[in-house]
Amino acid sequence: MSSSTPPNPDPKRFEVSKGTLLLDRVMTQLIRIGGLAVILAVFGIFFFIVKEIIPLFAGAHVAEEMVVETPGGKALVLGVDEWGERPFLYRGGDEVVFVDVESGKREVLPVPSVEGQEVTAVGYDPVHRRVALGLADGRVGSFLVIYETQFDANGERSILQRLEIEPWFDVEIGEGPVRAISYGDGGDKRLMIVSRESGVAALQLAQKRSLIGKSKLTLKSSTDITTNVGGDVSSVVASQNGEAALVAGMDGKVRYFQVDGGEVLLKQTFAPFQGTPPVRMDYLFGGVSVAMTDALGDQKIYSLFRPEGSTVRVFGETKEFEKVGEGAPFFAPSLRNKSFLTGAGKSISVRHLTSGATRWEGEADFEPVAGTIDGKTEHFFLAGKEGQIQRFELEDPHPEAGWRAFFGKVWYEGGSEPVYQWQSTGGSDDFEPKLSLVPLIVGSLKGTFYALLFSLPIALLAAVFSAAFLPHDMKRVVKPAMEIMASLPSVVLGFLAGIWLAPIIEDKVPSILLVCLSLPLSALILGFLWSRQPMKIRGRFEGGREWMVMVPVVVIVSIAAWSMGPVIEKWFFVFKDQATGREIADFRLWWPQATGLSFDQRNSLVVGFMMGFAVIPVIFTIAEDALSNVPKTLTAAAAALGASRWQVVRSIIIPVASPGIFSALMIGFGRAVGETMIVVMATGNTPVTEWNIFSGMRTLSANIAVELPEAAPGSTHYRTLFLGALVLFMLTFLLNSVAEVMRQRLREKNKLV
Amino acid sequence: MPSASSSFATTGRSRKGEPLVWLTAAGLAIGVLLTFSLLGLVVVKGLETFWPARISLWEVEKGDSIEQMAGFEVQKQNRRELDGTAHAEVQIFRGNRELYGEKFVFVDDDDIRSRSQPEDFMLIERLEGGFVIGRAKELQFADQANLPVSDPSFADRLAEIIDISEERRETLEDIEKGQIGRNAKRVKEVALQMKLQGEQPHFLNEMASLQSEFDELDKERRELRRELEEDQFIIESAEGREITIAAGELLHVFRPNQAGFFGRVGEMFRRIGSFLSSDPREANTEGGVFPAIFGTVVMTLVMSIFVTPFGVIAAIYLREYARQGPLVRAVRISVNNLAGVPSIVFGVFGLAFFIYFVGGVVDDWFYPNSEEPVYKSGGILWASLTLALLTVPVVIVATEEALAAVPRGVREAALACGASKWQAIQRVVLPASLPGILTGVILAMARGAGEVAPLMLVGVVKSAPDLPIDTTAPFVHAERQFMHLGFHIYDLGFQSPDSEAAKPMVFATTLLLISIVVVMNLAAIIIRNRLRKKYATSSF
Repeated sequence: MSSSTPPNPDPKRFEVSKGTLLLDRVMTQLIRIGGLAVILAVFGIFFFIVKEIIPLFAGAHVAEEMVVETPGGKALVLGVDEWGERPFLYRGGDEVVFVDVESGKREVLPVPSVEGQEVTAVGYDPVHRRVALGLADGRVGSFLVIYETQFDANGERSILQRLEIEPWFDVEIGEGPVRAISYGDGGDKRLMIVSRESGVAALQLAQKRSLIGKSKLTLKSSTDITTNVGGDVSSVVASQNGEAALVAGMDGKVRYFQVDGGEVLLKQTFAPFQGTPPVRMDYLFGGVSVAMTDALGDQKIYSLFRPEGSTVRVFGETKEFEKVGEGAPFFAPSLRNKSFLTGAGKSISVRHLTSGATRWEGEADFEPVAGTIDGKTEHFFLAGKEGQIQRFELEDPHPEAGWRAFFGKVWYEGGSEPVYQWQSTGGSDDFEPKLSLVPLIVGSLKGTFYALLFSLPIALLAAVFSAAFLPHDMKRVVKPAMEIMASLPSVVLGFLAGIWLAPIIEDKVPSILLVCLSLPLSALILGFLWSRQPMKIRGRFEGGREWMVMVPVVVIVSIAAWSMGPVIEKWFFVFKDQATGREIADFRLWWPQATGLSFDQRNSLVVGFMMGFAVIPVIFTIAEDALSNVPKTLTAAAAALGASRWQVVRSIIIPVASPGIFSALMIGFGRAVGETMIVVMATGNTPVTEWNIFSGMRTLSANIAVELPEAAPGSTHYRTLFLGALVLFMLTFLLNSVAEVMRQRLREKNKLV
Repeated sequence: MPSASSSFATTGRSRKGEPLVWLTAAGLAIGVLLTFSLLGLVVVKGLETFWPARISLWEVEKGDSIEQMAGFEVQKQNRRELDGTAHAEVQIFRGNRELYGEKFVFVDDDDIRSRSQPEDFMLIERLEGGFVIGRAKELQFADQANLPVSDPSFADRLAEIIDISEERRETLEDIEKGQIGRNAKRVKEVALQMKLQGEQPHFLNEMASLQSEFDELDKERRELRRELEEDQFIIESAEGREITIAAGELLHVFRPNQAGFFGRVGEMFRRIGSFLSSDPREANTEGGVFPAIFGTVVMTLVMSIFVTPFGVIAAIYLREYARQGPLVRAVRISVNNLAGVPSIVFGVFGLAFFIYFVGGVVDDWFYPNSEEPVYKSGGILWASLTLALLTVPVVIVATEEALAAVPRGVREAALACGASKWQAIQRVVLPASLPGILTGVILAMARGAGEVAPLMLVGVVKSAPDLPIDTTAPFVHAERQFMHLGFHIYDLGFQSPDSEAAKPMVFATTLLLISIVVVMNLAAIIIRNRLRKKYATSSF
């Protein structure tokens, strides 16, 4: 190559290499996709949580299925097996018709004892599948429908049905045919309520157990309750445990009888509707609540509860539902939860006791005369006048959920009034879950309130001093020190609160009160005394070092106030023992006596103190930032006009930075609301709806941490905990967003000045 | 340079509002004092648990007789009766659980007749049953004469026995966990194959050889067990009752009353070492926290592996590629706010999404034959991912800040030199903002290491004997549950059956966790300050 000739200008030299361009393009796409994916993933949290919650607010889903015709007249009783495959019809004659819904095949089982008799009244208990019969000649009896499920070698299920017939009993009370009957089967103790043309009787049956197995059922006693009822009877129902019965008279009044030591006693008389008598009374799952329906279609739930101060359980109205429809009502309780199927005329609805909500409403193709729900509450059946049976598929996984259940006052079974209550799990199958989020939200706010009460003054005062007075070189050490505090794991704070702090301050409440009072007071006094000193002395010290003087003062004053606590206790907090008349100086005893509120060792004071620790650095950092970013031109102008240093702070720095201070407050609030471990460890975690500082609480976050590991995925409980998480998420996200927007506005405003 | 804030920090002539200034000073003083006293409390209480205290011997009046009690004074306190009278009482730790049932005893201060510190008392750590405090009496051997404490070679022989026992225990553990474990695993595999493919002869042969291998190992194991139990160490308690400890149970013997200052310092370091490196014993109330340290470290590292690239990419996108407008501003605010969303919410999401949803899918695809859920239950992978989501806003915010701090001029210079956009980012912007990114990652790790609430939902347990990374294939067990220092504190402090005995361990664990977190944060703060200084002169 010759060096004398200059190289031709090669335009290609100035082209960017293909590799670079390709890489640039690839990276651009990669970063775009990756960045968007990360941001979407982060926001996906919100949507995923919402997705888990949506089913809670969906109503029941009902799908119509096949209709099977069974000619032969109107059904009086419709029942079904556990699987919803083989319903039966009883029309009041001497046969029971079983229908296989899949194949439409019918099978008839005779009821031999009824042959040749005229059945005038029928009662049905879906729990035991017992049909109670009353005859024209005044005799009463019953038969049980029993399904037996068998599995063959391949695991195929087949259902066999049979009837178990019980003997007839003579009702020696009253006259005429039986008009209404109900049979309560409590195993050994049984109760039959029989209303005849004239006269009402309560028959107590007993089944003695013998060595050879079940012995004969015998009539133990019959009680004439005609005089108690007074007049004609509209409907009767005996409780499923055979210990109580309700009799509704045509006068619109319902009488509640209870078997007490072999006697049938009238316990209560009440009128559920104005004048009109209930035509149906049906126990709901659990046997505590009764649904009453009158001929106009009004429906109310009465539940047993113990009124305050009383020891006797009586019925009280806990829920009122919308009208079931026009016509003769039918009713069927679920055997799995507190849902029930009801309706009148052509309208049918599925309702739930706890939430008082109608889960589903619809119209049948025919006028149903009876209904039933299968054991799993997955299907329900309706029987029409012409003998048709229709199966419906019922899908309602979260019947107890709903706005009212989560946020409203609910009158739960057994409670004496509507309350906000959280109790998600109980000991028995028929437990009614109490899923009100209100106590948890109140608990969260309570903990936050006390935390802010403690942390806000300290953090804001410290921020003001640090921003306005602290020399720069000290600030470089003090600020990170406070920030380190923010990084302390909350489990450490919680542990210190529960194990170390709670026992220490349990009997030192007066000392704490004294410390809280004396610290600010001593600072003010010291400041006052200092400002009275002549300029000669004051001038010797540079400003901004006051806090270092305050450190030993704070220590000394705290120790002094702490040890003075017992003295204060002797003066002000003396508990007088009513029984012995002795006087004991103990705040723990004095507080409940003086205020009627409880005193727990792990209380809100401890939580407030330790959660305050977690919040102080958060508030401090943000407020300090806002305060120090106040434009120097403003403060310098104020100082030049002769304002004292406090006047500069009060009239310039704080007003200008107030949005920043407010946003600090909100971010601190957000941090405290969601704090989990401190609350779990430092309180007793009892869900209460009160603001007593010396009692504990249960917060939304602690509730999730305690209960979610045990909740079954997909259950109402599980989804309700997700709802709690969503409430927390929304609350903190909104608070932080508002705070952030305010801060940005402030920053821009300060830039312009 | 006149400092920015000192221009108003002078004490002017005016006295107006001066008391209020002092009030704010008190606020700062209280804040700083609270921080340091809390840290100090944890440090003192934590170190206290390692410091070998002297054993005291009390003579306590009990009715007519005088009882001897040896142990450590835990605390002296005034117990207030319900009638308001106060009693001074001493809480004594006296160990020897098989003799007294309780490890602690409260003694009324008035009943104490005398207190001394006899030199011959020793503190014995053993495998099961907690500490023993007493005088050494003799060593009993299976094959030779007993060696009384008066014999000059006693101390050497005791040390020798402890060493031998340790070796034997290690061999035993290797046989039980390693060899027998592998054997059992293989048996399970072969059994599964036999179920799937029928009982073919080569399976039967392998089963037979596995069985004979197991028999041999089992024999060896029994022999070792017998050897561990044959020699015995007899101790006499303060009141003269005998305690027999099998040589295999002995872990460590120390005479605090004989040791000088340096001896006690040495013992303290030995205790710290064993706390950091050994497994927990006695329902976590004794021994060490090694599995918890290991779990915390592995989880935090896995988390940072996930969180760093994603956080940085998202930040680069937001700052360098996305068109700046109201939408990006809204996204930025939202990401920032996610850092303030309660951690438990992330735990809830992790449980539902990672465990039940993703874990369920993984199990269906890869482990259809497994009877127990593999990935559909809490594990270290899910915990790390959950925490990665929790901390990704921290990294995004820190990285964005660092990217924004790179002066515009630098960027423009790179572009003017002909660099493509990516080249400018890769070679100029990213290196310049590396300290800021590092700060973010360290802050994220510190936050992740200290979080407990979400972990309770996604796989942390009180005791996990198998570490998530070990020597059995496939070495990394991402589905395993793990122990965590923070959860260890919660569990020991609040779920432990003997919370009083667990207290020292909790304080020690707390000290460890706080040290880790504080050191990480300090590192982040220092790096951040350096970064600020570096760009303080450039124009922005």
